[in-house]
Amino acid sequence: MIISHQIIVIGGGPAGLNAAKYAANAGADVGLIDSGLRLGGQYWRHTGNAEVDESMHHNFDQGSLLMDAVNANPRIEVYLESQIWSASVINNMIILRTKDQTFQTQRLIIATGAYDRSLPFPGWDIPGVMTAGAAQALLKGNGVIAGQSVVVAGTGPFLLPVAAGISSHGGNVVGVLEAAKRLSWAPKISVLIQNPSKILEGIGYIKSLRKSKVEMRFGQAVVAAHADEDGLLESVTVANIDKDFHVKSTYLLKCDVAAISWGFTPDTSLAGSLGLKQGVRNDGSVIIEVDKDQRCTHSHSEVEIYAAGESTGVGGSDLALAEGAIAGLATAHSEKSSSQLRKLRHRAQKFADVLLQVYPVAAGWKSWLTPQTLICRCEEVTYQKVREACEELNARSARDVKFMTRCGMGMCQGRICTRNVSDLFDSEDHDRILATYRPIITPITLGELAQEGLL
Amino acid sequence: MNNNPDVIIIGAGVIGVSTAFALSTAGLKVLILDRGSVASGTTSAGEGNILVSDKEPSPELDLALRSRDAWFEINEEIGGGFELEAKGGVVVAQSDAGIDGLRRLTSAQRKSGIDAQDITGNDLHELEPHLSDSITVGAYYPQDAQCQPMIATARIMRAVKAHGGEFISGTTVTSILVHGDRVGGVETNKGRFSAPIVINAAGTGAGQIAELAGSYLPIAPRRGFILVSAPAPQLIFHKVYDADYVANVASSDETLQTSAVVEGTKSGTILIGASRERVGFNTEIDFSILRILARQAIELFPILAEIQLLRAYRGFRPYAPDHLPVIGEDPLIKGLWHNAGHEGAGIGLAPGSAQLLSDAILGKSSFMDATAFSPTRFSRAGAK
Amino acid sequence: MISFTFNGVELKGQSGQSVSAALLVNKERINRYARFSGAPRGLFCGIGVCFDCMLIINGQPNLRGCLTEIQPGMIVEVQNDH
Repeated sequence: MIISHQIIVIGGGPAGLNAAKYAANAGADVGLIDSGLRLGGQYWRHTGNAEVDESMHHNFDQGSLLMDAVNANPRIEVYLESQIWSASVINNMIILRTKDQTFQTQRLIIATGAYDRSLPFPGWDIPGVMTAGAAQALLKGNGVIAGQSVVVAGTGPFLLPVAAGISSHGGNVVGVLEAAKRLSWAPKISVLIQNPSKILEGIGYIKSLRKSKVEMRFGQAVVAAHADEDGLLESVTVANIDKDFHVKSTYLLKCDVAAISWGFTPDTSLAGSLGLKQGVRNDGSVIIEVDKDQRCTHSHSEVEIYAAGESTGVGGSDLALAEGAIAGLATAHSEKSSSQLRKLRHRAQKFADVLLQVYPVAAGWKSWLTPQTLICRCEEVTYQKVREACEELNARSARDVKFMTRCGMGMCQGRICTRNVSDLFDSEDHDRILATYRPIITPITLGELAQEGLL
Repeated sequence: MNNNPDVIIIGAGVIGVSTAFALSTAGLKVLILDRGSVASGTTSAGEGNILVSDKEPSPELDLALRSRDAWFEINEEIGGGFELEAKGGVVVAQSDAGIDGLRRLTSAQRKSGIDAQDITGNDLHELEPHLSDSITVGAYYPQDAQCQPMIATARIMRAVKAHGGEFISGTTVTSILVHGDRVGGVETNKGRFSAPIVINAAGTGAGQIAELAGSYLPIAPRRGFILVSAPAPQLIFHKVYDADYVANVASSDETLQTSAVVEGTKSGTILIGASRERVGFNTEIDFSILRILARQAIELFPILAEIQLLRAYRGFRPYAPDHLPVIGEDPLIKGLWHNAGHEGAGIGLAPGSAQLLSDAILGKSSFMDATAFSPTRFSRAGAK
Repeated sequence: MISFTFNGVELKGQSGQSVSAALLVNKERINRYARFSGAPRGLFCGIGVCFDCMLIINGQPNLRGCLTEIQPGMIVEVQNDH
């Protein structure tokens, strides 16, 4: 049986929740699909135990109000644990398939969010090295602290809540290493003070870290990880880096977890499958391009596709909420004015743009690589193999590298390595690899594909 | 930039690059042009088949046999590294008609020098332990082989460059320079290149190249889908396919044909094909075809139902109406040579085809008579 | 509390936790061994993107520990692809 809705929203984070809410309040019948066990996305990831959740989150009230509103809305049907493995347009209908169900709609809102951006470095495959998002998901979604002595590193404001969360729940944070310089935001102070809530949030984390005597170090990065005899993380090499990310000096830091985040990568995989126009942002991230109504560009007549939140460019929850609301109203063809929402979006967008400038990822990370460093974790493709493909085998694009080395052909389907492979080509005039048409978005079994009932 | 090559080759797929390898080995200065990059067209969409099993006794089978051995020679010569493996093929028959047809085929192939072994029951299941119990009749072809076609082509290209050859990617041929009835070079988006010999190895684009030169070559795309599994422990040990495949390959029907083709690769993934249909360059994925491929594969190997599918992609085989490659000089334009139209067998036939063409260009006698592949066979049909 | 086994040893986890989280609480950091090198791998992205936390759960391989909720009696095994 095919499930139909006037509007389908994919993703139950801030953007998707708000999109569903606004569209439903405008009178539309909405289906909200999410792959997770609970609504909230990464930002409002929670355990479902109210007491625990309150203690884990800044700003959880806002999230639980919105989730309650969505759950209580009779016009919204929520589908959890529903991972979409294929999306296509057939006979003027958008067809979405999960393991158990097929959905169809003529109006779609993509709010698939983003995931941590990871940079490769020697030892980044050792158990204990993880993304800051993984540490955060352990805490917020499971009530578990990632390790006994944790290094939080990378760049951006996200490091603060991760470190503060771990230390305030009894974890020992042995260092917060921010690659940017201490006063990197100073030149942008005028934009920052227009967003006082963000500044207060940041100060709150810093106070919490001070209380736990956690040291924050600037201009430093984890450039290598080392395993003990069981193959588990034992220490990391920390470098003082210059503004280009080249190593000036190093020291060793003992830890059992290194939680590292280099900002976020928008999840654009559905854009590839649906043939949506994509663009490249200043920071090199590939995004779904949208117009002022959050509408995507594509060649399918008769269907409307919108995108909101991080998949259109990483910008935080305020921006995602504003974009979701605008997309929800536009998709529902509402007459209601969204001028106030547009102002909110504009302000949040400016703030997001400034964050990218304050917390850049410079190309010097490539100097951390050794020939044996893995670029593709799934297929275990080394930097040496990637270079050989480029220098000796005439690879001219990340796609060529993929076919010649299997870099990006593994289980994650290139989600972790593709952006880095694109960056390894940066010096030449090569195109960045965009999300391409993947009929299989996430793995399914052959038996599932062979079933009757799928279109 | 190389302004005085002896030969310009249009197309850096396995056919163009193999041809460049043969000619540069013979001492000629080659320039390869491709609108994309090395092996970025049909070559990158293939499974890397080097098969003798799927051909009836014919000039094509002779070409396949020679090519198969040539692949192993090239492997030695350029230092390997492209997953070449004589994995062997197993063809199974499920219907009575299929069984009769397979037995006739193997008997005829043996007369042409193919090692084609009729097998049944336990012997079949010893070769492929996970094969469905209901399948009891098959044939084993130890000569069937496989390689990773894109790496193979890229590595042969490296050898061509070591021979002094040159490759310019991102170069689209916009016209073929013809003086009287002789070719003189090509005009491209990156300028003009002159040479007394131009080789059309443009795969599915070979028809357009012939047209640019004022000649005619009926090459059309024949679409195929392939499913790729997640890496799995080795379950399939040979290239295994249904005997219907041989009939489908030879069919000229425009509508969809499918037959199960299943094989494991050195990288741990399982490749599942094969579909054939003539729908132009339609790039859309047809899920109903993917479903049929999945079903057919599970019929052969029930264990595959549990295996995860990671990717599905399509490619376009360069197809000539009589299913034979086009190897030889253009009947109208002197100095314009074609090496194209290898359909789904381009990887397997590449080194032999390159040798045939190279020998013809150099005026040497070759390992077989190439008349069956001559482009002159279309000249009457194409006369305007 | 929920009981499950990891490589045949009985462990305890909290209801609602992911397999990966329950393993970490029990100081188990290795989910699988990589195919070519045999190197150990564990939780990396934590949100279902990277597939590095794949395990064999109730006999089924390639399941992501970070996305699978722990269930009473669940049989979890390290996945050795090497």
